[in-house]
Order: sequence, then structure tokens, then C-alpha cells
Amino acid sequence: MQQTRKTPNTLARTRIWYVLILLLSAVVLVRVFHLQVIQHDYYKTAAEAGQMREYEIPASRGVIEAHNGDSVVPLVLNESRYIVFVDPLHIEDIDDAAEQLVSVLGAQDKAEVEQKMAADNRYQVIQRNVTKTVVENIEELELPGVGIREEPQRTYPHGSLAAHILGFVNNDGEGVYGIEQALDDELVGTPGQLRAVTDTRGIPLAANPENTLIEPQEGRRTRLTIDVSLQRQLEDALEHGLERARSESGGALVIDANSGAIKAMANYPTFDPSRFYEVSNDESDVFANRLVTSPMEIGSIMKPLTLAAALNEGAVRRDTTYYDPDRFTVDGATIRNVEESSGVGERNMEDILRLSLNTGATWLLKQMGGGDEINETARTTWHHYMTERFFFDKPTGIEQGYEVAGDIPDPFDGYGLNIQYANTAFGQGMTTTPLHAAAALSAVINQGTYYQPRLVDAQSDNEGAMQPKDPVAVRKDVVSPSVSADIRRLMEGAFAQNYRSYGLNNLRTGFTIGGKTGTAEVPHPEGGYYEDRFNGTFFGYVSGDDSTYVIMVRVDEPRIGGYAGSTAAGPIFVDIATTLIDSFGMQPRVN
Amino acid sequence: MKQKNRHQRRRISPLIAGDGQHRRHRPDYSLSVICLLLLVIGMIVVYAISPGLAAQSGLSESHFVQRQMIAILLAVVTFIVVSKLPLEIWWRSIKILLAVTLLALLATQVTGSGEANAARWVQIGGLSFQSVELLKFTLVIWLAGFLSKRHREGTVNDFHKTLKPLGLVLLVSGFIVAVLQSDLGSMGVVAGIIIVMLFVAGVSWRLLAAGAVMVLLAGSLLIVASPYRQERVMTFLNPQADCLAEGYQACQALIAIGSGGLFGKGIDRSAQAYGYLPEAANDSIFAVLAEMFGFVGVVVVIGLLVALFTRLYRIIERTPSMYSQLIVVGALTWLSTQAFINIMAMVGLFPLKGITLPFISYGGTSIIFVTAAVALAFNISRYSTFSVIEQSVTKRNQKQQKKKGNLRDNSVERRGNRRPHYAYPVRRP
Repeated sequence: MQQTRKTPNTLARTRIWYVLILLLSAVVLVRVFHLQVIQHDYYKTAAEAGQMREYEIPASRGVIEAHNGDSVVPLVLNESRYIVFVDPLHIEDIDDAAEQLVSVLGAQDKAEVEQKMAADNRYQVIQRNVTKTVVENIEELELPGVGIREEPQRTYPHGSLAAHILGFVNNDGEGVYGIEQALDDELVGTPGQLRAVTDTRGIPLAANPENTLIEPQEGRRTRLTIDVSLQRQLEDALEHGLERARSESGGALVIDANSGAIKAMANYPTFDPSRFYEVSNDESDVFANRLVTSPMEIGSIMKPLTLAAALNEGAVRRDTTYYDPDRFTVDGATIRNVEESSGVGERNMEDILRLSLNTGATWLLKQMGGGDEINETARTTWHHYMTERFFFDKPTGIEQGYEVAGDIPDPFDGYGLNIQYANTAFGQGMTTTPLHAAAALSAVINQGTYYQPRLVDAQSDNEGAMQPKDPVAVRKDVVSPSVSADIRRLMEGAFAQNYRSYGLNNLRTGFTIGGKTGTAEVPHPEGGYYEDRFNGTFFGYVSGDDSTYVIMVRVDEPRIGGYAGSTAAGPIFVDIATTLIDSFGMQPRVN
Repeated sequence: MKQKNRHQRRRISPLIAGDGQHRRHRPDYSLSVICLLLLVIGMIVVYAISPGLAAQSGLSESHFVQRQMIAILLAVVTFIVVSKLPLEIWWRSIKILLAVTLLALLATQVTGSGEANAARWVQIGGLSFQSVELLKFTLVIWLAGFLSKRHREGTVNDFHKTLKPLGLVLLVSGFIVAVLQSDLGSMGVVAGIIIVMLFVAGVSWRLLAAGAVMVLLAGSLLIVASPYRQERVMTFLNPQADCLAEGYQACQALIAIGSGGLFGKGIDRSAQAYGYLPEAANDSIFAVLAEMFGFVGVVVVIGLLVALFTRLYRIIERTPSMYSQLIVVGALTWLSTQAFINIMAMVGLFPLKGITLPFISYGGTSIIFVTAAVALAFNISRYSTFSVIEQSVTKRNQKQQKKKGNLRDNSVERRGNRRPHYAYPVRRP
């Protein structure tokens, strides 16, 4: 029999171990109680500090669309693009990493990439606007220190079409220039917010009731008044016209005289909004919609407006005639006729427009003051028309960035007041934008209602439904309806005698066209005017059965023979007018 | 004086039978019930965090659940097999067991892949297991056989016969586990098993103190040798100075436990499991559990563990032989030290981590081997020595006498009764 009977000693020692275990359990329980019950609030705070993350849910920027005949097409959409950046701290082998990255990205200078990889900064953008496919290739390289960030990108299905109207969104996500700038607040939307308990990678854990979510409010969908096909034809006409006139820049617009809606508007040279970053800083002028942002001395196209003011004031009548001395002196300066100088003689109102008589315009100004000279009454009356009826010195409020109003001389004060006012009567010595001029002409020919020029036809409301925008009639008595009819008849008469010189072969039955050329002297930065530089302007209108469109053209410093207004700007006007008649669905008037 | 009893018809090895004055009865089923409850609790936690964890590492959503289910099934099979096998079989095949263990420990050095802590795993085909768990099991068997023999011979304190071989085992396993596998947590369990079993076998207090000092010295040496362990000790000594600021990483477990509160955040609401706690399903599962189920859940788990330890202690009290007693002492020490190292590390009472919580942690090897240890105790719980039965019956009668004032007749105390006194139907221990 083996004697392995336990001794009491071994049992007592087992008991010591067992009691020790019980003691340890008690210690652990006390400790856990301390952590979980007594210090609970502290650790709850610590947990939230570590786990709670706040995210901004970006709102997608509002889509911009426009008319195309009877349908609506998008002009600006959003797309996910990516930024490839490096954190130089984590780059291991600069030479190798740069080599691989450049091979995938293409079109990148290796030395430049290496320089960025060696920079002190922790965030160096290598390339923006990278597509998904390229990003996937980069991810396959698994290069340490190379990161990818998603960035919503504006895309332009129509390329550079209407680039100046649209503007673009810069790298900071701000709309700059054009509609993107003017309506930035509405287009950008309101970002949503997510506060959530997340894992260490920052991915929200679904089940926590502390999570709060505020849905983003998408940016407003914005429908423009412009017509895409008209816009394209206007841009073509402008580009060809400028080429023909050997001018480097210019612009043209079409505005609906009866609503203020811009139907097409373009400047040249233009740019590609999807590649705005390729434009260098000293070329950034190209972004501006100069029809809106750059006031100019508009020249003789002012004459119909001066005439309208004089008619409306009752200073002259449509059939008034006067003796034109061909030149006269005001305050020691001589007013002479530049265009079509035809000597002294008896002139009627249509002659003033047809022959573009500066003396005639000045005579009209005198008539507003009661007769023989340019007096205070003449100046204040004309000033009132330019500022309170044509609104030349106030921004129109069109939905464009950087709009600038013109500069109208004060009627009471200033050196050479009278000669300056004499000049304003034919569009010199004051400035305004082509858009202002077009809007003023619209009011003058549409029986006297000044509509605010606008580019937005409709915009989505909070529920996403499109809400149309009504025309805004700023003033309904710019001129009386009879004056309006007189001006139309006079402008049409003047145009009918001159159209062949603009390159139009024959007038269309059922449509009326009125127009006026302008050849404005270019002011010298140091005062006075260049002797050999002129800007050609032209404004006029095409009227059909139920619609009237005002066309405004500006050609900067053409290098072509003849007067800039008729040889450079006139053909562009004719091109656009023909397009409106032929392919914009204008109905002829039936007698 | 050989007793004839129907319960002793089965031939039982003297190794188990001890002095032979024992009886065989129903095993302690509460052991299996407690283990099963702990396994279920672990399974619930693993189930809750499995999809999130899998998403973190790109695995299938049910990856952890499936593998844990398989582990539990294997554990049940292991429990049944081990509890049916004759107890003496382990000691009889101790040489094979030792050889396999040594082989497995060394195999980790060969098959270990490039992963973290790869040196702790043995890869056989697509299967892998942690060799240190097998070491713990083998160690318990070997120590029980070895020490009971020395105890019988009265040479427990003999330097050449007992202490030298034990020291050798401690050194070899210490070298492999603590140095090669860099697994100080498991080393703590191994050292605990050796020390406590030696202690129970009757080593002198003096030697015990000397051994404890040596272990402490070796432990501090290992800590000083590794900057990563030093850091852990430093964070431990300078705990949660400010969990909100720089100490944030160091007290993820405290944050998980503390933010759980009294009733917990709810089964689907753990956040700390997802990236904040390393090894959320394995080593850090206690913290996740505390976050989900709060102090109430912790009380249940610790309560179940204490219940398990208490049942094991009762079995030790009643078991007839030194060999079986030491096996259960070994199992008790294994489970308790491992549980305490794990939990105390989580609650910031102990600096070392990287060890599983028995039954609850995700991981097949741990579950299967701790189940095997409990199955040994379960098997042993079939036998009770009569000295204990007599004591317990006498005690109960004395109590009843005091209470009721009358002497109740019973077979043990009854004089003149010719029947053997042992067959009194006692409650199972």
C-alpha cells in the first residue's frame, strides 16, 4: 500500500493559496468598481475625447445650366477628382519615389517633384485634378508619404463656352469671376455635419445614439437665361469678326429688350475654366467679363440716347431740322465731326445718327438747356438721363463678379464743365460698360421700361424645385412710348442707309433692324487721347413679330481701314443679327 | 486493510486512490456548467465585435465568430475525452508528453513566420497553435507526478533530487518562453504553477522565499533588458496621469472599462474595440466586456471565475491522493494566475500584458487547453477520501445536534453497526 495520503500540511498550504486568490479577486473587484462607478465620468469624458469626431459633409455645388432651344442643358457639373500630394517627412527614397510617381502621372517634371519631396513643408501638392484611374495606379505603387485627397471638381461639358459668364471655382473652393463669384453663397450650399463615435481610422460606428447628423443643403441649381447655340454662334462671330478687324480683344452680347435677359454674352480672348490654373498671374485679365467689368468711353453710340433724352424733354421733335456749322467752339475747344464729315448745312434728326454728327449731338445737348449754349439746365438734365434713367453710374446688379459702374462727370463742378458735357453727348469724357449701354438702349426702344439686365432665369428652392425669376422693371418711364417709337424709326432709317457698309446685303422683310456705330477715342493714361487708337462699338436691335433683341458689340483697337465702328464692329453686329433671325426662332412681323 | 465496496470494483491506480480510503461518485458537474457559462460570455463578446474587427483588418464579417465556434466545439470534445480517460494515463505517458512539448516549443523557432509574436505559434499546415499552452498542461502533469513522488519519499526539500531538476525545468522553459518567445505573461503563469505546486507539496518556507527572490530578480532582469517592457513598467508606475492628454494611448483599457459604468454601454456599443485597444478579442477582451456590460458584467465574470476556483479548491480538499491533489492545484494556479495577470493588467494593477483571459478570450489554443485542465479536475472530482466524508458528516451532525438538541443516528457514528461505515450517502463534494 502506497502512502501518498495527504498531510494536513498540504491542505493548509492549499488553503493559503485559495485565500490569496479570494483576496486578489476582491482587490480586482474594488478596483473595477472604482474605475467604473466612482471614476466613470472622468473616463466617459476621456472616451468621448478620443472617440468623438466631427465631420463636415460637403454640400455639392449647384449645377449651372442653360437653355438650348426648347431644352435645358448643363453648362457646369461636379465630378470627383483627386489631389496627389506628398508628406516629405515620410518619403523614404526621393529619387525612386519621384521616378515612380512621375511615370504614373506623366506630364510632370521629375526634378520639380523631387524638389517638392525634399521640402520642409509637410504637405506638398504634386498634381491636382487627377482622375480615378490614375489614382488607382498610384495606390498600387504603395509609396510611403504619397497621399491622395478627394476634391470635387467643376467640369464643363461645353468646354470654354460662356467661360466669362460662368467664371470658375478656385483651388480654395471659392467661386471667382462670373456667376460663380456673384452667386457663390447660393451655389456653395450649406455643408452638413456628422458628430460620431468612430474607430481609430475615423470611420463612424453606426449604433451610437450620441451620433448626430445634419444633412447638407446642396447648392442651388441655377438656370441661365442664355441660349447655348446662340452663345456658340455669337462667340464664333465675335472671334471671326475680331480676326477680320485684326483686333486682339472685344466682346459682344445679346439682351432681350423686353425682359433684360441676357441671351448670349462673350469676350475674346477667352479661357478654359477647367484649366484656369494654367493662366499665369499677369494674364489674369483674361478671366474678367469685360462687358461688365470694364467701363469705356462708348463713343457715338451715345447719340441715339442723347437724342432720346432731347426728344423726351420736348427740346426737339422727330422732324426738327437745324443748321449744322460742322464745327464750333465750346470753352475754347473745338467740337468737330469725325465721321462722315459732310460740311455745313441743314440737318435733320436722322442725319445726326446717320452721319454721326458730333456737332448734332452737342446741339441736342444745348436744346435741352433751352437753346444757344450748354448751360446748367442742359447739364443737369443730361446728367439726370445718364444717371437716373440710363443708370450709367450704378451697377446694374447683373449676376457677375467684379461688376463696375461707369463714371459720369458732375454737372455742377469741374474744370471745363461745358466742353466735358459737350463730349458726353457723343460718348466721350464719360465711361460706362457695354452692358449698361445695351440695357439703356433696350429701355429706349421698348417703350421706356428699364429692365435690370440678368443672367439667371430660374433657381432651385430649398426643396429642389426650380423657381423662375421674373424680369425686374427698374423704371417704366425712361422715355415715353412715342419717343421710343421715334427713336426706333430714326435708328432704323439710319441703319437702312448704312447697312451695306457693315456687310449686310439686304434687309429681311418682317424684321426691323436699327443700329448705331461708335468710334471712340482711346484715353491716354496720362490724360488726353491717343491719336491713332480707336475702339469700335456698335449697338442696335433686331425686332421681329413678338421679340426684340438688343445687340452690343465692342472691338478694341482694330487695325483695319475705315471707322472702327462700321468696319470692325458693324460686321459682327450683322453676323449676330442674321443668326438671331435665321436660327433663333424669331418670327417675322406680318403686315 | 483493503475495503470491498461496489464503488471500488473498478481498479483504480494507487496514484489516484491514495490511501485507498475513498469512494467514487458523480463528478462535479458544476465545473462544466461554469466553464460553459464563461465560454458563452466570451462568445457573446466576440460575436458582438466580430463584424467591426473584421472590417478593420479586411476579414469576412463572421471570421472571428466562426473560428471561436470551432474552438468551443473542439473544447467540448476535449473536455469529454479528457474526463473519460483514466487519470493515471497522463503520468504513464509523461515522457511522450514532455518530448512533444519540447518539440512544439522548439518548432516555434522554425516555423514562425514574419508576423508579430510569430515565435509563439506553431504552424502545421493551415493550423496554428500556441505551444506555451501545451507547456502549461504538461508542466502540471509532470509536476504532480514528480512532486507527489518526492512527497512520498519525503525528499521535497532535497536539493539534488527535487530542487535541481525543478530549477532546470524553470530555466529551460523560462529561456524558451520569456527570452525566445518574449512572452512574460505566460512566463508568469509557468512560474506561478511551479512555485505554488512546490509550495503545496511542502517545500520549506526558507527555500520558497529564496525561490521567490530569484524569480523576482530574473523578472526584473528581463524587464531591464527590454526597453519596451521598461516603458510598460514606467507607464504602470506612473498611471493615467492624464488620460485625456499624453497618456491617452497608455490607458485605452482604463478608458474602455471606466466608460462602461455601472451597467455598461450595451452589447453593440463598444467603441474601444475598434482600433483603440490592441488585440480587442484576445488579450483585451476583459476591457471590451467591461465597456459593454459595465460593473454588473464584470461582477458576473469574476463571480463565475471565483466559483470555478472555489469548486477546484473543494476538489483539492476531498481528493484522495497527493498526485490528484497536485494536478488540481496546478490547474487552479494556471487558471487563476492567468486570469489575474490578464485582468489586473487591464485595470492597471499589473504592468504586463499579452496573455489571454481563460475561456473568454478569442483563440482556440487557450480555450482548448484550459478546458483540458478543468477536465482533469472534473475527472478527479469523481473521488473523495473518506476522511473528508467523515469530517463533513460529523460536522453536519454536530450542527444539527446543536440546532435541534437531539442526536441523530448515522452510519458513521453508529456504534455496533456491523456494516462498513463508509457507504453513507454523502452529498457530492
